[in-house]
Amino acid sequence: MTATTVTSVGETREPLRPARIGQAIMFVGLFTYFTLPMVAVFLYSIATRWTANILPDGYTLDWWVSAFTDQAVIGAFGSTLVLATLTAVLDIAVVVPAAYWSRVRNPRIRTIVELSAAIPFALPYLVIGFGLLQFSGIVAPALQGTFPLLVVGHAAIAFPFLYWAVDGAMAAAGIERLSEAAEACGGSPAQIVRRVVLPNIKPGVVTGGLLAFATSFGEFAMVQTIARGVYTVPIWSAEAIRSYSGESGAFNRLAAVTMVNFIVLFALSAAVVYFNRGQTVRLLPGARNIEQREQG
Amino acid sequence: MSGVDLIGVTKVFGHVRALDDVNLQIASGEMVALLGPSGCGKTTLLRSVAGLERPTSGRILIGGQDVTNVPTRDRPIGMVFQSYALFPNLTVRQNIAFPLEVRHRPAAEVKARVDQLLELVRLVPQADRYPNQVSGGQAQRCALGRALAPSPAVLLLDEPLSALDALVRTRLRDEIRRVQQLVKTTAIYVTHDQSEAMAIADRVAVMNHGRIEQVARPPELYESPATHFSATFVGSRNALELPVVNGRVVLGGAFDVPAPAGATDRAVAFFRPEDVEVTSTGAGHPATLEVKIFLGSTTRLHLLTEVDGRQARFYADMPSREALAYEPGAKLAVRIDPADVKTFPVE
Repeated sequence: MTATTVTSVGETREPLRPARIGQAIMFVGLFTYFTLPMVAVFLYSIATRWTANILPDGYTLDWWVSAFTDQAVIGAFGSTLVLATLTAVLDIAVVVPAAYWSRVRNPRIRTIVELSAAIPFALPYLVIGFGLLQFSGIVAPALQGTFPLLVVGHAAIAFPFLYWAVDGAMAAAGIERLSEAAEACGGSPAQIVRRVVLPNIKPGVVTGGLLAFATSFGEFAMVQTIARGVYTVPIWSAEAIRSYSGESGAFNRLAAVTMVNFIVLFALSAAVVYFNRGQTVRLLPGARNIEQREQG
Repeated sequence: MSGVDLIGVTKVFGHVRALDDVNLQIASGEMVALLGPSGCGKTTLLRSVAGLERPTSGRILIGGQDVTNVPTRDRPIGMVFQSYALFPNLTVRQNIAFPLEVRHRPAAEVKARVDQLLELVRLVPQADRYPNQVSGGQAQRCALGRALAPSPAVLLLDEPLSALDALVRTRLRDEIRRVQQLVKTTAIYVTHDQSEAMAIADRVAVMNHGRIEQVARPPELYESPATHFSATFVGSRNALELPVVNGRVVLGGAFDVPAPAGATDRAVAFFRPEDVEVTSTGAGHPATLEVKIFLGSTTRLHLLTEVDGRQARFYADMPSREALAYEPGAKLAVRIDPADVKTFPVE
């Protein structure tokens, strides 16, 4: 991108070349494709009526007010936030030590960790949810259908994002060498983790935590399978569509909630990009291997 | 008081004997270089002294204390790594303070000691910079300061100059030596560069296949390598494989020396380029000058000769002024003083 900007400065007076026009059309098309649905949802959430015309007949904030004074909506947002936060915290607590251990002490467990990090992509969440139900039925029947089990389920499907982010940060920081150096300096394991490891993988932990949070925030299938009693924003949205019986404003309120949901996830994505300084592509599995191969 | 004793140290990784019964005594205040090609076990040995590797068998003593089973953080060591391994989140000053802070030394003492070390490694102007804001040489000096901060009994250096470019390398090498002699700490210096090892160390231990082949002072090692491997690895040497005839190894009129013990058929003769006497008229073995390489004060002649019915090449070094007399293609005569020829059985 930088290179294009630099050359275009000197070429501002040149006639537009076909390639440049093609690029512009592509960009506008892509931008429209992504934003138009969101604009439509937003307009719908503030429309009095929207029937025959291309734009709504009139505008109002009533739907937003009624949606966010509705106890069900507030409750859904509350439990979604708690669920997503606990998921991220649980994942950080489990994955960071595991990633550290697999790098510094026992590289052999890497295979196991990386294999399990692929499972959430190979299996539908529904299947994982049922598996977890079966398993909890054997080991802890009391947990079935409860919030804690849901946190565990979400932690299980969200952890690969955190693992890749943290593992990448550890590779970038050369955490094995830093640990050894800190050990040779006389540091105890606790001192090494607190003063050397964590400060140097912070961007990875923050990024991974945000991704785990976002995964849990928008997840629907597993909440449905594992904990029917838990009422999250996606569940509320699904119910709003399912139970629609012609009352006015139901879909407008849904649009308002969807909009907020989108803003939250968009803000999280923006934060992820920010914390990775535009190198988000490195979070993809295998990206590091390709990079190393290119350097070598 | 703080020498290092390695007694029968052996380390086995799977089927590989990375260290094979290594015995070495290092006197207090002495710097010993572990020299050898990659995979010879020199780094494993250093890491064993640091406690980063546990030997399969054998004992390691520091200052007479058995530390074989002591964890790294409780050993009286300081370590410098090839990759610097400075903490990127801490400044130069904080990096040097780290070993003192983890030992819970009082703040005033830490400050005084760090100031002293910054002075010692000449990093006072860079004290508040972060590792990514200093040059490679400065980073490694910071690592040296950090390693020395807790006044360790032993300083361990793992190829500390390998990541640096040539000019910085020699300067930092001399700097490390100066600092080590100033603080009088015992030191173990791992390198694969023979000139580095000979320049910096009191003694050099040549390692190969997990064993120490020879331990000697640099001049002794240079003059009289004890094994075939030492001879190949140390000094830039000519090696010619020659037949053993009547218990003697002969290169035409160049030299005639007794065959080494154990050699029945063929032997390798080692001799240094600077020991080859070249004349255009005198007696000796005939050789043809192929190429002249100007190296500054000396010039290296690439010579082609016939040995045992086959062509062989070797080098001769001479002062550049004398080399002016010879042009490529010249027919020359070479001689080597028998005292300068080392022979070993062909392995």
